[in-house]
Amino acid sequence: MPDPPRITLLVDGVEVEAPHGAMLVDAAKHGDVEIPVFCYEPKLGHPVGACRMCVVEIEGIPKLQTACSTPVRDGMVVYTQTERVKEAQSAVVEFLLVNHPLDCPVCDKGGECPLQDVAMGWGPGRSRSVDPKRHFQKPIPLSPLIKIDRERCILCYRCVRFSQEVAEDEQLQLLERGSSTFVGTFDNRPYIAPFHGNIIELCPVGALTSDAYRFRARPWDIEDAGTVCTLCPSQCNIKLTVRDERIERVLARDNVDVDDGWLCDKGRFGYQMAESGQRITEPLIRAGGELRPAGWAEALEAAAAGLREAGERTAAIVGGSSSNEDGYLAQRIVRKALGSPHVESRPSGGPGVESRRTGGRGPAGFLRQGLVELSAPRLAASVSDLDRAESILVLGTDPLHSMPILDLRIRKAVRLRGARLAVATDRPSVLDGGAEETARYAPGFVGGFVSALAAELGAAGYERARGELGADAERIAGALKPGSTVIVWAGPDARGLVGCARALRLEEDGAGLIEVPEGANGRGLREVGCLPVAGPGLSDVEQGLDASGIRDALEAGSLEAALLVNADPIRDFAGGPAWGEALGKAKLVLAVSMFEDASTRQADVVFPAESYAEKEGTVTHPDGRLQRLRPGTPHPGGVRPMWEVLAELGALLGEETGVESAPDALAAIASEVPFYAGISHEEIGGTGIRWQERAAARYWPRVDDVGARDEVPGREVEPAGRTAPEPGDTGGRAEDVDGVIRVGTYRDLWAAEVTDRSPALRFLAPRQALELAPRDAARLGLGSGHEVEVRSNGTSVRARVSIHERVKPGSGFLIEGLGDRAASLRGELVEISKAGEPE
Amino acid sequence: MNNSADSSSEAEVSSEFPYLEDESVVAVQRGPEPGGLGGAYRAFGETLRGLKTTFARIVEGPVTIQYPEEKTPVYPRFRGRHKLHRFEDTGLEKCVGCSLCAAACPADCIRVVAAENDPEDRVSAGERYAEIYEINLARCIFCGYCEVACPFDAITMGHEYEIADYNRDDLIFTKEMLLAEPLERTPLRREGE
Ligand code: SF4
Ligand code: SF4
Ligand code: SF4
Ligand code: SF4
Ligand code: FES
Repeated sequence: MPDPPRITLLVDGVEVEAPHGAMLVDAAKHGDVEIPVFCYEPKLGHPVGACRMCVVEIEGIPKLQTACSTPVRDGMVVYTQTERVKEAQSAVVEFLLVNHPLDCPVCDKGGECPLQDVAMGWGPGRSRSVDPKRHFQKPIPLSPLIKIDRERCILCYRCVRFSQEVAEDEQLQLLERGSSTFVGTFDNRPYIAPFHGNIIELCPVGALTSDAYRFRARPWDIEDAGTVCTLCPSQCNIKLTVRDERIERVLARDNVDVDDGWLCDKGRFGYQMAESGQRITEPLIRAGGELRPAGWAEALEAAAAGLREAGERTAAIVGGSSSNEDGYLAQRIVRKALGSPHVESRPSGGPGVESRRTGGRGPAGFLRQGLVELSAPRLAASVSDLDRAESILVLGTDPLHSMPILDLRIRKAVRLRGARLAVATDRPSVLDGGAEETARYAPGFVGGFVSALAAELGAAGYERARGELGADAERIAGALKPGSTVIVWAGPDARGLVGCARALRLEEDGAGLIEVPEGANGRGLREVGCLPVAGPGLSDVEQGLDASGIRDALEAGSLEAALLVNADPIRDFAGGPAWGEALGKAKLVLAVSMFEDASTRQADVVFPAESYAEKEGTVTHPDGRLQRLRPGTPHPGGVRPMWEVLAELGALLGEETGVESAPDALAAIASEVPFYAGISHEEIGGTGIRWQERAAARYWPRVDDVGARDEVPGREVEPAGRTAPEPGDTGGRAEDVDGVIRVGTYRDLWAAEVTDRSPALRFLAPRQALELAPRDAARLGLGSGHEVEVRSNGTSVRARVSIHERVKPGSGFLIEGLGDRAASLRGELVEISKAGEPE
Repeated sequence: MNNSADSSSEAEVSSEFPYLEDESVVAVQRGPEPGGLGGAYRAFGETLRGLKTTFARIVEGPVTIQYPEEKTPVYPRFRGRHKLHRFEDTGLEKCVGCSLCAAACPADCIRVVAAENDPEDRVSAGERYAEIYEINLARCIFCGYCEVACPFDAITMGHEYEIADYNRDDLIFTKEMLLAEPLERTPLRREGE
């Protein structure tokens, strides 16, 4: 987008240059003039002019104007310091304070309160009010995480605007009128929404306070430590509030290119996991069936001995929260020191992986080719491209659960610019409401749908689908604007995307793809070599087994050692408990973990893991932005930086990495990943840099070099156990079979370890639920809350029925990541039987 | 650097002392040396003048105070070891744990960790109270800023000055120590004394 032209205006006699269309408050800042504001917050969208704090005098306009909602024009003459302005501003402060309790000493906002600052700077300094103030019951919970003090509220609307216009959960409102107005929810229900923590930060007074942070510290007690949240792929930029070496709160560190200044509640309150007293803080070794504390030297030696023995019969699983450095060093140890090709970082595969059908020995050429093609710099969209695209397609994922901040970003595009949104998913998505077109395909049939879509878009080599599928694809295709579309997608079988990308001309500026990986740093891990089909920089390597292949091989005994870096496959990977058996058979399980979990129970050696607050390293955002993790708190107990531990382990195994510091580790990555070449911590800086925008991006592998395309585009390859769909088949056949439903799975936002480990979030921990369409529920004689058993091929999961209007008949949905076998049922036809009445 | 009031004389000096140019020499001005009579007066006259005071006080008797049996009385506004206060009627602590004293303290020796009051079992009157309140008296400079900053007069400077101890750690006074009445009261100086 071209920068708007610059204009000049006079502010208090000083010539100020500002972009055309900027609001006066912002323009004045270019001339070092501060105009006080309360309600103005550009993040919330259009200004509302609710508080009148920002009044200024403009030549030629008889009345005072609100600077926050007046766009500048060339030649404007503005006065912010005249008697009239001062009198008006001081009157506004006086009015605001009429009912304000002025209990700064007990107020949590004291010391960082805009009202304090503005009252000191622009207020009358002395109260004339002698009348009693308005009273409310206080403080009372607005939600389980937020307390509200209505006496302190200055009715600036910010929180209400957030709820109505940013998160669009529409729960908060101003109730009553006049001086009895207050912020609340309908019927006083608790305000429960995934982003609601943002209102704590938005509130310019101490009316909304975080339950977890209340009274913990004053601004002068704390230090701010900027880093990146690695609890999900959004990788929001955050500021840790650290007091006495403990994290007390997490605030947003605005970065328009990543998070727009918002955080989800997981990131805001999940810091409690890092502060949990249950963390493993020293290495553990299993002796006589029990894990016992050991020194680092002993533990490293034990791990090295076991790995040396297993040699190429070792596999590594790198969890999504690992940094690029962790992933790189882990794969280097496994590939170079042990000579094993089995490195995996994706809980359920990635684009074009078809493990079960081929026993993990799929055509490596195509897998890499798919990756190289779909993640190519020319097809990559940045997060801020969503602010420009004319149409957005959300494919195969519900960003609220998989990458929450994108949900807000997409809503913003639709709300503020009228971008056309199309949603094509198996499970109903929360974005459906704002979408122009929605399509539902049967679970596991995303590939068929995408191929049909490619055909509708006119891509060569794809067959148009018949019936419902074809009609759906046609509607979605109709909503997309070639050359100006961003596709947000996730899912393993998306080969048709290549065709869609071509037909939609996604290589054009402001268009492209954003793939939502499964792990927080999924993209980075894949680029530094944590894939069974590609080494660092997606280089050609001997092909290894993918996740389920590794599991089967461990079970069968052909693999003997497993290295789990920040990964708990029993909880997070398809197969769930089956991993427990597989790990139980392994001769050596080396787990790097923050907590004792199901996987460390099978471990022989455990290294304590760092939390993201302690880590130093880099991660790669799904849009290619390299970001820096910086240590905000010291390592507790005997925890050591993971790059250091892995470098030492490598050295013990004969692989000298030469890595002696975190920058060294990055340099090692940069020397092996051509398209990261030369990148350094300094270059990444505080806001990160997209590698696609660096010169080295030209070293991205060429598709033609990656091996011949050995599959016909548009032909879906389905894992064994499922029948490949015919063109036009929506997978809806299940409807005809009594009691049988095709099951899809999704990773609920709260189905994560962080929910269980953070006391503030624990109430959100989901229970396994089977979502059914009303028609299917009626057919199966099930009601909401019934306990059922969901079964297929000997795998069974217990769940509670929940009935949803928008679920496609014939489909049902289970939650992944709860430690049961739900993820193994993905895409399967299941039988459902009643196991209990509602409680 | 410029100690000379007369810039012209400095210019002269600087021509004599090339060092001045790199500002390595400080020119000091002295008064004239007194001559014979003046010197004698300075040697004896001034000394006798001082001794006059000494002899005049002899008749007043010794003023030695037998510390520690006897204590020096202090002025009412003497800034000694701090005290935290309670409300006399309710017994609740006046301190609400606002940390303003900590913010004001130039020596950074106050540590306040606040917590939320349980309405059933209050510690202080407000929503919050000081769960931990510590002053490191080894660092305190007894400036009294904390007293001035406190919005509730919860902390005041007391009169106690016997704070010495064998161990630095023992100089960190906790809330309980600061709330307790000192065992021995420091005598106060009376009006006009
Ligand atoms: S609660 Fe805070 S953010 Fe909401 S209207 Fe009141 S002052 Fe504004
Ligand atoms: S959206 Fe993801 S990265 Fe952002 S705060 Fe939430 S968990 Fe962290
Ligand atoms: S008297 Fe001064 S130095 Fe001592 S605690 Fe109070 S503010 Fe700090
Ligand atoms: S002593 Fe006074 S200033 Fe210090 S925390 Fe307590 S109430 Fe606040
Ligand atoms: S900031 Fe302009 S009216 Fe509130």
